[in-house]
Amino acid sequence: MFKKLFLTGLLFLPFLAGKPVSAAPETWKSLTHGQQEALAPLAEQWDSLPEIQQHRLLKTAIRYPHLTIEEQQRFQERLIVWSKLTPEQRQAAREKYKAFEKVPEKQREQVKQMIKQEREQTIGSEKAIPGNDNR
Amino acid sequence: MTIKIDSKDISQLLTQSSRQLDSGMMSALANARQKALDRQLVRVPAVTLSTGRWTLNLIPHSGLQWLATGLLVAILVFAAGYWQHAQEQQISEIDVAILTDELPIEIFVD
Repeated sequence: MFKKLFLTGLLFLPFLAGKPVSAAPETWKSLTHGQQEALAPLAEQWDSLPEIQQHRLLKTAIRYPHLTIEEQQRFQERLIVWSKLTPEQRQAAREKYKAFEKVPEKQREQVKQMIKQEREQTIGSEKAIPGNDNR
Repeated sequence: MTIKIDSKDISQLLTQSSRQLDSGMMSALANARQKALDRQLVRVPAVTLSTGRWTLNLIPHSGLQWLATGLLVAILVFAAGYWQHAQEQQISEIDVAILTDELPIEIFVD
């Protein structure tokens, strides 16, 4: 009896393990309004994205409503660049981010300040170019 | 002067000597030979079947063993599923962090 139970149980094991990473592909039209709003920049290429990428993007979209307006803006601006990266590049970026997270808070803030200043300088120099002057 | 004895001579000598043994000794030797042969016959398959026996021991025999095996497999599969889910959750958190961080995405992308 236990042998039969065991063998029957084996058939249901995949369901016990939870939803597989490579779920069935989802078309853009099948996404909810909330998902479409979060992933709007990817509307055109969504159907051609690999399943695993779709699955991961959908997971990130769950957090979209909880982001600040500024973060939502950044999220959508970066989506296209992010989706065009190879899986290896994305994995390398994650590793870099994790490594950066381990840097002490003070040093991280210094790096952020430095990059902010650099960006401001770049924007300033772009404005200083005569062609960009609106006068 | 030395006498050279080869294996054939030894065998002849042994045959001659055995003829001089009494019937009791002969039957004792025959028994001992048979026992030795039996042991050898058992040992040969024991070596070849040793792997099979080991794997046979892994297959549950009683109902309780089947139940324990089932539980173990279920726990392993559940743990693997949970681990995979946790990994995916972590990946998703990092992805959102990269996509929303103050630092430009180029900092993390080669």
